[in-house]
Amino acid sequence: MAAAAAPGPGPDMFEEIVMAEHRFHGEGYQEGYAEGRHAGAAEGRRHGARHGARVGAEIGSYLGFALTWQCLLRKCTDEKNSKKRKALDSLIGMIQKFPYEDPTYEKLQEDLEKIRGKFKQVCSMLNIQSDFRVSNERSSLTF
Amino acid sequence: MSWVQVAVNQSNEDIFDEDADEMCVVQKEWNSTMKKRLKEGFRDGVEAGKELALQEGFNQGYREGAELMVTCGQFRGTLNALSSWCHLNGHNSALSKINNLLDVVGKHEDDLLKCLNSIQQQPHVGDILNAVQDMDLSYAAPDGTKYDEVNTKKYEHVGSSAENYCRTNGEDGSLQSECSKAKLCTDPERSSLAWVKKQTVWLVEQLGLSLDVLHHVQQLED
Repeated sequence: MAAAAAPGPGPDMFEEIVMAEHRFHGEGYQEGYAEGRHAGAAEGRRHGARHGARVGAEIGSYLGFALTWQCLLRKCTDEKNSKKRKALDSLIGMIQKFPYEDPTYEKLQEDLEKIRGKFKQVCSMLNIQSDFRVSNERSSLTF
Repeated sequence: MSWVQVAVNQSNEDIFDEDADEMCVVQKEWNSTMKKRLKEGFRDGVEAGKELALQEGFNQGYREGAELMVTCGQFRGTLNALSSWCHLNGHNSALSKINNLLDVVGKHEDDLLKCLNSIQQQPHVGDILNAVQDMDLSYAAPDGTKYDEVNTKKYEHVGSSAENYCRTNGEDGSLQSECSKAKLCTDPERSSLAWVKKQTVWLVEQLGLSLDVLHHVQQLED
């Protein structure tokens, strides 16, 4: 590195020193920035994937559940079942409108809570305990 | 490896110290100051780069994770619905079968989570290039042999774990397409979700459920 040689004494020496310090800082910064970007992207992606996987699995399971029950009740046209069907339709509508895969959606958590509430309500109307596994809890703990 | 990294990583060795005997005190002081600036710059750069990339990375990972797991969730939800229906209608003999299928879905979810994890631990291209440079190896590696090896591996572990497929893919590709590629390599008869789907269709028929239910199950992506 020829640039590493100390400047000789002279009127511009101090200016040269300051410039060189600035330049070395800048070179380090550039390298560090590239490293940091890579490390940050990997770390962020890992955290994001964990959250996304959890939400995706949960939402998918509500949808699969609701669509199946919607089919199971389609032929039951009596008054008692029409309420259940309405609740199922409403839950399905909420899920289909929900951009669960978009982390920038500002009401993500709020909508998710509403869907959870609706799911619980549907389960209680169907006389089903809603505490079965909606996702693979065991694995999400070790992930 | 770039000279900045050498300077930062090897703090005990003075990389500027090419001719120690003739080096005057001023020169040493100069070198140590500049190395300090370099390190400070590096540290500041890492911090700034990381902060900017964290959110971007999170968003990307979130999307991938969500899109990857939603299908498994739909299988799980469908099986849960069938299980509750059987429970309410006294078809208790079908329950253990449904639980078995739920276990298979759970295993598949585990594999996908492992796949998500392993894909992010891939070294990035820069690391590999640096390593190759450091080893002073010829850059033109025989691609053919590598590819064959990878393919053999894929077929050996077919259907057993998603992890194997994804390990062979680069970090920056989209996970969705990587896992689609993985599916193409998989014998459809042995892909776990396709198997679950087949078994569920069979179960729905055995239970005498409506065609609506059958169509719903058939529409699930595997």
